[in-house]
Amino acid sequence: MLASPSPPGDAHRLRVLIELELLDTAPEERFDRITRMAVRLFGVPMALVSLVDADRLWFKSCAGVPFAQTPRTASFCAHAILQDGPLVIEDACRDERFATGPFATATGARFYAGCPVAAPDGSRIGTVCILDRAPRTFDDKQRALLRDLAAMAGDEIAAGELRRAHARRSESDAWLHGLLEHIPDGVLMLDRAGTVLRANPAVEHMFGSDTGGLAGRMARSLLGEAAFQLLDPQHSPDAPPQEGSGQRLDGSSFPVEVKVAPMRLADQQRYAVIVRDVTRQHELAQRSRATEERRRKHFTTATHELRTPMASILGFSELLLKRDFDPDTSRELLDIIHRQTSRLVELINQMLDLARIEAGGTEGLTIGAVDVAALVEQTLSGLNGLGQNHRIRLELEAGLPPIAADAAKIQQALTNIVSNAIKYSSEGSLIDISTAALQRNAKLMVAIRVADRGIGMTAEQLARIFDAFYRAGESQNVQGSGLGMTIFKEIIELHGGYTDIESQPGSGTAVTVWLPALPDHG
Amino acid sequence: MDKTILVVEDQDDLRLLVRLSLKSLGRVVLASSAAEGLEKVRAEKPDLVTLDVWLGKGESGLDVCRAIKADPATRHVKVLLLSACGQQSDVEAGMAAGADHYVVKPFSPQSLGEAAAALLATA
Repeated sequence: MLASPSPPGDAHRLRVLIELELLDTAPEERFDRITRMAVRLFGVPMALVSLVDADRLWFKSCAGVPFAQTPRTASFCAHAILQDGPLVIEDACRDERFATGPFATATGARFYAGCPVAAPDGSRIGTVCILDRAPRTFDDKQRALLRDLAAMAGDEIAAGELRRAHARRSESDAWLHGLLEHIPDGVLMLDRAGTVLRANPAVEHMFGSDTGGLAGRMARSLLGEAAFQLLDPQHSPDAPPQEGSGQRLDGSSFPVEVKVAPMRLADQQRYAVIVRDVTRQHELAQRSRATEERRRKHFTTATHELRTPMASILGFSELLLKRDFDPDTSRELLDIIHRQTSRLVELINQMLDLARIEAGGTEGLTIGAVDVAALVEQTLSGLNGLGQNHRIRLELEAGLPPIAADAAKIQQALTNIVSNAIKYSSEGSLIDISTAALQRNAKLMVAIRVADRGIGMTAEQLARIFDAFYRAGESQNVQGSGLGMTIFKEIIELHGGYTDIESQPGSGTAVTVWLPALPDHG
Repeated sequence: MDKTILVVEDQDDLRLLVRLSLKSLGRVVLASSAAEGLEKVRAEKPDLVTLDVWLGKGESGLDVCRAIKADPATRHVKVLLLSACGQQSDVEAGMAAGADHYVVKPFSPQSLGEAAAALLATA
């Protein structure tokens, strides 16, 4: 048997065959029906719908043949697909092309008639063929019948292909629909005049609209003039987003970012518009601007606070070096230098302390169980004699739960408020320190209250009490860096606590610190 | 004729420092607040005012400077601003308020004396 030729264009034919996804699939009634019909119509023992693969023949349907494939080189069909009409071998033994072919041997066939089956693009991908073990004649009427059967097989293949295309299409539609339905960015489709044709749920939600409630509205009224200006067929979708003001249906507005992609759909000018609500980004930017401003102000104030004692130190030491003063004046100037140097050292220490606490955050804390009574005692004994002329009265509740705190830091915070109570009240006056445990916001909290009968604060002073370098007692010449309360607040907040301050000018100040009790002690 | 210098400074130590730095240049009068400063500018008719920019309690020496320069009776008085704020923008704000000179804290008493003497020479 001669090897079947590989026709020109076979690579394309094979690609078409593979893309039809018919090879190696299960038998199907729509093809079996054709081979059954062929067996009956022609009275032959064998009929096939065969597909000619790269190096084999594979049978989509076979009647009377017990195997599903055979090598392409040994096949009648490989020859049949080379021509348009049916190929008829009335007696293979008398045909030099097939006399010794193994297929002929395997099927025992001497008669073959096969007509090519065309894919939708016309590629001949296989045949409908009939075989018999005895030689036969095959007239024109029979050739026409076989041609009809091959055309039916071709129609079945085309119909299957249509069904598959339709399924692919609805799958891609479902995908697109799901995408538009669920992406958090708003998507609008506008016509050439800027009227909304379609809107996805995200954009409807953004504008406070019901489903379908944006259709027919003008983009100009929803997105503002600046965004409307982007509706230009020449607009580049790569342009940076346009900031604008979105107008909700209830009249309220919100900041938006808009991108526009002009497009031609079914020969109509359309615009796809992506709308993003940037309220949150705006808030973040505003907050970071405020933080930046606070930092800048803090830096200016810190510089001022550091330069002021430096002015005394530099100035008076220069005077002492260059001029002659009487011993009393010299001593007075040295005393100022010493005092201002101490102030400078305290300032620097406090500034570093605050920076360390701020930078360390909660991770900088060593949290443990802190006994509140012991904490108060240690705070008082750590004052180095400050307050020894005040009457300090303790009212520590028995059986208080321990607090979850960094012992050293919380003592530092408490020291700051106790020393303020002492500094801002006159000697001999009473300072009350009391404690209590209370449920607050469904959490067990321990309160420590420090109340003095000192000069107190005005509402204006109270409002600024936590500002860095702010000193309510500025005019009263009370010593301090102005950072004590800032450090205090920072420490308390890191512990998840909070502070209440009551103050009246002339009658005193009471600071109450609330700190979370150690869990499992409630 | 002896010159009169008004020192407006809220901090006791610095008021003393400026007084000691300038006392060889003439009679030194002291004020510790904006109101007292303005009052003494009118009463004492000084040739030179050294003015702290941060007077405490939210008062600004720049306001005092503007008031001095806005009043026809006092606008000829030389104003030397003293400030712990030494950025270019601070100096510009001071000069825009009408100051004749700007000295940044900390300062050398000798340089301050020289700057004051130069201003008095043109007063």
